[in-house]
Amino acid sequence: MGVTILTQFPVENKTGPQIIELLSKRISALGAVPQGQFLVDCETYSSVPALGHQRTVHVLHNSEQPATVFALLETGTKTIPLATDGLFDLLMMKMSSFYQSKKQTKAESKGPRFEIGDFCVKLGSVTVSSNFKGVLVEVEYKPCVVPAMCWDLIMEFMQGFLGSLGPTTPPSFLQNRMQDIYSPIDTIQQYLEHFTLFRKSPGPALIMRPQ
Amino acid sequence: MAFNGVNISVEAPIENQIQEITYDGVEIYQPPLTLSESLAKYAQKIDFSKTEADLKCEDTLDDSKSDSDSKEAFQSSLWPWDNVRNKLRNAFQEICVLADVLAVAKDKKYMVLDPVPQEPLETKTMVQIFARKKALAGAADVLLAGVEKLKTSQNEAARNRTTPDFHIELLRLRQNWRLKKVSNTIIGDLSYRTAGSKYLQTGTFEVTKAEEDEKSSSPPSSPGGVPPIKPSSALKVSIPSELQGVAYIEVLCQKDQEDLCSANINLLGSGAPSSNPDMHWQQKLEAAQNVLFCKELFNQLAKEAVELQAPIPHMVVGNQIMATVLPGIQLIIALRHSTTADKKLEKPAPSKSEHDHVLEHSLHQLLREVHHKNTHHPFPHPATGPLGPSKKRMMAGPMAADRYELLEMTKQEKLLEQIVKQAQHFIMRMRTEYVLDTIAKEFKDPLISSHWNTLNSPTQSCVKINISTHGYDAVCRTPLVIHVGEKSLKCICRDGKVMNMSYEPQELRDLIFCHINQHQILAIQALAKTMGWQSLGNSNHLGSGPVEPLGNAASCLLVSPTGDRIIAVRCEPQASGLQVSVAHSPRTDFFPSRLVTERKWEHLGGQFRDVRLDKMEGKNFLHKMELLMASLTSNS
Repeated sequence: MGVTILTQFPVENKTGPQIIELLSKRISALGAVPQGQFLVDCETYSSVPALGHQRTVHVLHNSEQPATVFALLETGTKTIPLATDGLFDLLMMKMSSFYQSKKQTKAESKGPRFEIGDFCVKLGSVTVSSNFKGVLVEVEYKPCVVPAMCWDLIMEFMQGFLGSLGPTTPPSFLQNRMQDIYSPIDTIQQYLEHFTLFRKSPGPALIMRPQ
Repeated sequence: MAFNGVNISVEAPIENQIQEITYDGVEIYQPPLTLSESLAKYAQKIDFSKTEADLKCEDTLDDSKSDSDSKEAFQSSLWPWDNVRNKLRNAFQEICVLADVLAVAKDKKYMVLDPVPQEPLETKTMVQIFARKKALAGAADVLLAGVEKLKTSQNEAARNRTTPDFHIELLRLRQNWRLKKVSNTIIGDLSYRTAGSKYLQTGTFEVTKAEEDEKSSSPPSSPGGVPPIKPSSALKVSIPSELQGVAYIEVLCQKDQEDLCSANINLLGSGAPSSNPDMHWQQKLEAAQNVLFCKELFNQLAKEAVELQAPIPHMVVGNQIMATVLPGIQLIIALRHSTTADKKLEKPAPSKSEHDHVLEHSLHQLLREVHHKNTHHPFPHPATGPLGPSKKRMMAGPMAADRYELLEMTKQEKLLEQIVKQAQHFIMRMRTEYVLDTIAKEFKDPLISSHWNTLNSPTQSCVKINISTHGYDAVCRTPLVIHVGEKSLKCICRDGKVMNMSYEPQELRDLIFCHINQHQILAIQALAKTMGWQSLGNSNHLGSGPVEPLGNAASCLLVSPTGDRIIAVRCEPQASGLQVSVAHSPRTDFFPSRLVTERKWEHLGGQFRDVRLDKMEGKNFLHKMELLMASLTSNS
């Protein structure tokens, strides 16, 4: 388990598969080895009005942690992260009278997964309720757990295959957690941040680089 | 339609019958029947002839003929309802007649309904008497037999109070074994199922009251006049034939067809029970349970031996499993199950088992552990969660374990792997012991003492080695620690260096030799310090001199307190490879020559002369060196 940085890759008049292929070629040229596929999905449940104040639960799965279900509860003032067992999915089903899922907002990011030395690179094409929205690039540096210590290295590595489009500042989520020990739930929080952005944006063309 | 009930409409399912499925998967349906066709089909299914046949006696012949005629006609006739109409009309006629008859009979004027008197049965009195007599005789026999039984048992109880009561015995049996009553028999279970075993073979036995045996055995005992502790009890247990006899698991470590060690597993220990029929039930049951346990153990091991992908595949032949532990050394696990007859013949085999009980115990323990794990699930297990996964797996979800970790969790060490590892360690330990002991025997000069840690795990142990010289323990001592693993040795040297060695004993031997060598050099320097001599220099890996077959020679150079004597020591790793040379400067006698004209040049150092250590006095090398230094110091 290492530090993971998630970034959007802008789509400029290209289709998702084209971009994935382009990036795959670039990363393969660096010597990366394809290691199967990955999938991160997110489903959002919102509380029924009878419960009072509106709350939202995002339930996410990451193929990297197959036995775990992540849940982020947004109360409006703060976000409560939770990493649980696979049984949580069943629990959500039981709670369907309190938390109802918004079917049209199911977001997922899936695509090829590469390994290159200590890095693990995932190129995901994001779909929100099966509409293509954009491309997310995930880079994990496995030997380190403190983001501040390896941010420069990861940034340099990302610029190596993303070119000038790579990130220059840490993701906003990590900016005030740079000295903390990184955990898988932080990856999930980054994904949720991006998924929320994608959901709001009307189409793939309008995605801006987060600066 | 008197009841205004629920309307039920009955329809045929919408789907049509499949007539044919072509090779490309297209299903060809039969065209659906039209309404009239389907009605005709159903009407055809009604069997009117059945009820008619019962009612009509004589004139059915004609009718049936006409029926069959009409049926045949139906096939061809255009009007299919002819048959049905005829039947219905007949039925209607009969019902009308019946109604008329009933109406007439109801008036009781012209017709009266009377029950038909039945013929009384003719009874043969003699036959009845005989049958009753026979039945009574049978019942009397049963009663008499019961009385006899009661009488004998009472007599017996009165005669010898020593015979334990059946029910008391049963109670004792019940305290130690699982019993249940199935109809008229008492069935016991000696399997380890309740202890967590998943072995399929059942271990049921039957408990009966032993009376015939007792009857036959008590007369010979009573004439002897000795009322000994009766071996026969009121209980008899019958054990299935496959669990009878004595079984044990033999574990052998073989080296090229030669036994290195062997251990016999016999859960009952040394007191192997003889399986004579009048053995006490407790021993009998224990023996049977032992057989069952050995069988399960062997079955498990054999299954794993076939499943496991070892570099050198394990072999399972008959009742024997062969696994390669280390190159040239095999572990043989065999199931020995002997019935009563050949028990005596196998007596020589247990003589081999005097060696070691570690492997014996381990195998035993491993299966017990598996049993224990099957019944004891790690806490906490929530009521909604599944039972079975390990604690680690249970935590995997909340701790967000990644794929690699999860994959690691699925790997479980098999019994055979564990026992192979233990056997490997056993052999490694034995080899290490042997090497250390032989070196200790060979070398007297630096003494080599080894201390084995008493606490160790089945696959790891630790030995501490001290190299010291007798009488000079306080001056210098070289400690070494060797960790004996499964296939490798790890040596932690005096200076903190860690050496990893393979299973070859020669490597350890060489290492110890090198350390003896270093010890001598270090010891002589330490001794020199106490004697007031100075060490000019030392080298553990000397580059000069002939090439050593093993390691490098070490050397040191010592100078006396006044600085006029120099001792050089060279130590080679080969045995008795010690060379000591002495140089004087200046030499005590000086004769000016043409080359060396003045005495001061003699201070530069002179020629080294070898010291013949074997001619010197002293118990050991350090003692000799002490004497040498002392003599050189006093001379000046």
